[in-house]
Amino acid sequence: MAEQLDPMLSLRGLTRRFGGLTAVDVIDLDLAKGELISIIGPNGAGKTTLFNLVTGLDRPDAGAVSFEGQDITGLSPERLAAEGIARTFQLGRVFGNLSVMDNVLIGAHTRLRAVKPAVPVIGPLLEMGLALLRPASVRAEEERLREEVKAILARFGERLLPRIDQPAYSLSYANRRRVEIARALALKPRLLLLDEPTAGMNPTETAEMQGLVAELKVEGLTILLIEHKLEMVMRLSDRVIVMDEGRKIAEGPGEAVRNDPKVIEAYLGHGLTTEQESAA
Amino acid sequence: MSSWLDYTINGLIVGNVYALVAVGLALIFGVSRLINFAQGSIYLVGAYIGWVAVVQLHTPLPLTILVVAVAAALVGLIIERFGLRPLQNSVRIAPLLATIGISFVLDQLVMLTFSPNPRALPSQLPDVRFQVGNGTIGPLDLLIAGVGITSALLLFVFLRYSKLGWAVRATAQDRDAAMQMGVDVNRVNQAVFGIAAALGGVSGMLVGMYYNQIDTAMSLQATLKGVVAEVVGGAGNVPGAVIGSLLLGLVESYGVAVFGTSYRNLFAFLLLVVVLVLRPNGLFASARQAPPEPLTGTFIAPSRPVRIPRWALLVAAGGFAILPLFPVSFYVLQTLINAWLLGMLALSLTLVAGTIGQVSLGHAALLAIGAYTSALLSLTLSVPVGLAIIGGGLMSAALGTLLISPSFRLRGHYVSIATLAIGEIVSLVILNWESVTRGPIGISGIPPLSLFGYDLISPTSIYWFSLAVMVVLALLQARLLGSHLGRSFRAIRDDDIAARAYGLSLNRYKSLAFIFGGFAAGVSGGIAAHLYSYINHETFNTQQSILALTVVILGGLGNVVGAIVGSVALVGLPEVFRLAAEYRILIYGIVLLLLVRFRPQGLLGTI
Amino acid sequence: MSNIDRRSLVKGSLAAMMAGAAFSRAAFAQSSEPILLGVSGPLTGPNAQYGTQWKQGFDLALDEIQAAGGINGRKLAYQFEDSQSDPRQSVAIAQKFVSDPRIVMELGDFSSPASMAASPIYQRGGLVQFGFTNSHPDFTKGGDFMWSTSVSQADEQPLLASYAVRRLGLKKLAVLHLNTDWGRTSRDYFVKAAKEYGAEVAVTEGYIAEERDFRSTLVRVRDANPDGLILISYYSDGALIARQARQVGLKQTICAASSVYSPKFLELGGEAVEDVHLGTRYFPQDPRPEVKKFIAGFKAKYGGQEPDAFNAYSYDAMNMAAAVVKIGGTDRRAIRDAFAKVKDVSSVIFGAATFDVESRRVKGAMNAELVVRKGQFALWDGKPT
Repeated sequence: MAEQLDPMLSLRGLTRRFGGLTAVDVIDLDLAKGELISIIGPNGAGKTTLFNLVTGLDRPDAGAVSFEGQDITGLSPERLAAEGIARTFQLGRVFGNLSVMDNVLIGAHTRLRAVKPAVPVIGPLLEMGLALLRPASVRAEEERLREEVKAILARFGERLLPRIDQPAYSLSYANRRRVEIARALALKPRLLLLDEPTAGMNPTETAEMQGLVAELKVEGLTILLIEHKLEMVMRLSDRVIVMDEGRKIAEGPGEAVRNDPKVIEAYLGHGLTTEQESAA
Repeated sequence: MSSWLDYTINGLIVGNVYALVAVGLALIFGVSRLINFAQGSIYLVGAYIGWVAVVQLHTPLPLTILVVAVAAALVGLIIERFGLRPLQNSVRIAPLLATIGISFVLDQLVMLTFSPNPRALPSQLPDVRFQVGNGTIGPLDLLIAGVGITSALLLFVFLRYSKLGWAVRATAQDRDAAMQMGVDVNRVNQAVFGIAAALGGVSGMLVGMYYNQIDTAMSLQATLKGVVAEVVGGAGNVPGAVIGSLLLGLVESYGVAVFGTSYRNLFAFLLLVVVLVLRPNGLFASARQAPPEPLTGTFIAPSRPVRIPRWALLVAAGGFAILPLFPVSFYVLQTLINAWLLGMLALSLTLVAGTIGQVSLGHAALLAIGAYTSALLSLTLSVPVGLAIIGGGLMSAALGTLLISPSFRLRGHYVSIATLAIGEIVSLVILNWESVTRGPIGISGIPPLSLFGYDLISPTSIYWFSLAVMVVLALLQARLLGSHLGRSFRAIRDDDIAARAYGLSLNRYKSLAFIFGGFAAGVSGGIAAHLYSYINHETFNTQQSILALTVVILGGLGNVVGAIVGSVALVGLPEVFRLAAEYRILIYGIVLLLLVRFRPQGLLGTI
Repeated sequence: MSNIDRRSLVKGSLAAMMAGAAFSRAAFAQSSEPILLGVSGPLTGPNAQYGTQWKQGFDLALDEIQAAGGINGRKLAYQFEDSQSDPRQSVAIAQKFVSDPRIVMELGDFSSPASMAASPIYQRGGLVQFGFTNSHPDFTKGGDFMWSTSVSQADEQPLLASYAVRRLGLKKLAVLHLNTDWGRTSRDYFVKAAKEYGAEVAVTEGYIAEERDFRSTLVRVRDANPDGLILISYYSDGALIARQARQVGLKQTICAASSVYSPKFLELGGEAVEDVHLGTRYFPQDPRPEVKKFIAGFKAKYGGQEPDAFNAYSYDAMNMAAAVVKIGGTDRRAIRDAFAKVKDVSSVIFGAATFDVESRRVKGAMNAELVVRKGQFALWDGKPT
């Protein structure tokens, strides 16, 4: 279904087992540049584990991940961040004691150049020296990034800007999710993985978030989305993938997947009617 | 060779003794995820209650055991109720510090009640010996083994099959879920502390009888060896603690066999570091065990640091700078010199423990490396003292970072234990590497402080010198914290997984923090060496590490000004309490407890 | 001294912190005030037991000194500051004593790191540091204000070696020593002397102070097949080693350094220390009058408790301090000079103590060869055990 020959991200036979449980079971997936694919499925279906495998936080037992034609299987998360893969976390992992500004600046860490010379061996020492001395180039870079952060925060209206110097732990739950997304955007990602960005949000907030993701898609960002709220999934997704017990049980355009008997059975079988109701 | 049989038996015998403490520690860790540094103090209390029972009341052995078990369990319950339960919803580091404070208080109370002189605690068992190998074992060996193994088995059965045991395990796995399921978590904690304390008390008494000797210094050693054994076996794993203890005993015994007595503890701590690096959850932890720390940054208290206006800092710095111009006694200046030296160490520790979250319990090792380097450079190579001190700082930065790097992959309490072990290893290497460090004789005749050819020997000049060095280090650190490194370090502390996902390499930034912090600590050690003119392996000891950590907590983790305020307070307070000579450590322990209870984020707050 | 005078006049907000140091010269001049000695030593921390033993010896000596009319009509007293034997605290205490004009000389500290870290301050401040337990060979090299009555190990260890090798006829020795500056120095002197007397040292084992289990060490000792064990230990670890040696079946003669000489050694060691030989500086039945007086006085003051080596060191030290102050008065430099002038001060350890002006130590410690018999220290009768 992906028309392009060179997918941006492709997973082949990706498998991860925990003891007797196979959390991700031989998953294949191709994601084209500019495409938005949603992954849905009941809790425990292996969606977040799949994200962890793609972003390097976990290593697969079998299978391969390639990104823009390169094999990235088992690379460290910090390498993958440098390659331009950014993600948000299901439970919201902001840096609690850092201000909103600092949280988002961390997102831009991989783009630091002036203060992080690419010199082998003594690079880290140079980085510390430059951080202490702060020549004009370093100051200018920092200033530029701060302006960028403000621009990113402005996309969330008045939600975050007035709180820019507050520590993240003092923010509301929804605002922490926004900070996470802002942090991911600060990385200027080529691939963005969003893990339930609207969890815990009320309908108004969900609608705002949906609008933002739609904007990002329009801007050409390639996105992999885990989401329970089916209405949002249907509106945004180019394709939908349904996972259950680690396996991919359906794939295709939203409407087709929605009416797939296997999908209905998987949801009903797990008794997760509440989510369907909330999504309806 | 028949000797190997003897070494093996001896290793098992002493392992037996370690197991008694380790089982109690494992039980508490299993439920509370807490390393109870007061376990050795309960062991001490048990030994002295046993002494009262045996020597004063002439109780028979079964009654003695009962008396000690009940009394120690009571102590455990009191600790749980008044020391730890109020900290339930506090940050995870608070109970750890509270147990350190409690151990100070208990040890001092025992010392004040019974005097520090060692006492004989006669065994109440018949003195028959059984020939095993070329040595003999006695009934106490069998009793200790019996108590150790039986208690481990009973605990295992209790945890598996009883209702309360089920509640304990449920609490261990997920406290909140257990509470929602109707488990009375407080009752579980009480049960666990009662049992662990009873076991700790009885073991102190048995070990006292075993050696026919009890004294107030036995507490810290028991805790240290118990923690090593417990972590080797897999923290929280009761049968694992027994096996870990036996393994520790064997490794020590074989270490003595091959290299000699003075290498004994070196092997104990090396074993710990190797196990932590290769199998961070211990040798016998099940693979599916939940990660030992919650995944988000609740290890450190969220807080709003107190913002001190710049002018106030300038006024304070200026005030201290001109202090010697007033008629102030040299004693006050010397006390403040100590505070400035401790302040440099605290700056270092507040960076690694506070800013990047690696709570180090072995920080005195960095002082020692700096001190020895600077002393030897100036003595043997005639390097000018000023340069030698910088050399000490650089060596401490490089070597310290290298030594601590194996612990970079660890998290939470495991970092503390690994750094504690690394600190001990450094001290033991200094003791044994005689060709360089002159071993226990130490280094004497270290030249006094001097700068550009001028000797700094008056207290006033030393005061200015150490104040200036500390202020420069503090300013540098403040500048570092204001850079992208500051936020990177703090991000790693708050959530290392999210930090990695945004491209922050843990090894790189933890190394940088230790390099920067190691330099400050090394400089402090170097200055101290030239100030004291004599150092040996005991000069920079574990107490120093614990003091530095207390300073850092007092001031507020990661807080530069807080580290200095904390140093002045903790050097000054014991001096103020000098009038109360014997009571001052007791007072110090109580102050620590109150602090943890009422202001866990420190005086000036975490940054 | 003008520096000190000016600085000792304390005013302002820090007065509370310096309460101990603040004293005007006017107050000092009143002769009804006692002459004050500073003591820096451990009252808390791992070495606290030694500080409490010091106090016992000091107090007994002071009772006797006061009863004899004090120092030219003035009482002698001491101010004990707890250092925990920690160099950081001993240097602060040193500054405190140096800046307190009431203090005429200092006694202590206990451990070498704590004592020698404070030495430069005492030396520069011109206050005598009288380290009566400091056997570190470099202690008195700190300057001409450092004096010590600690028995030099260069003196003591050849006596012990002579006892073990010449008198007891041991030919192949295993040496177990506390791995501290004291134990290590002692071991070296002992090994040197023992070799000179014709014995072979088969194995030496250093252990740390906190060690309690010696079984594996004793297997090493056994495998070296010695005919005697030498313990360079304090009483608590010495008792532990003796017990465990007997438990693992080692029946060789045990010969110990004088530092095990304490009733605690007998109490902690029990039957295992029976027949242990030790060289000491005095013994319970010692006919010397100063020893009789010391032991009788000690037992009377402390409810029948037997004094030990550390009690004797501190008792002697206080008596020496009194003798020095008698000659030197209350001037600090005069006191330093008086150390060279005192002659034949009555001493439990030395009989009559006179300083060697070169080394600033006392030579010629008394020597008694004891053995534990029926749970008591007794003079060795020359019979093999």
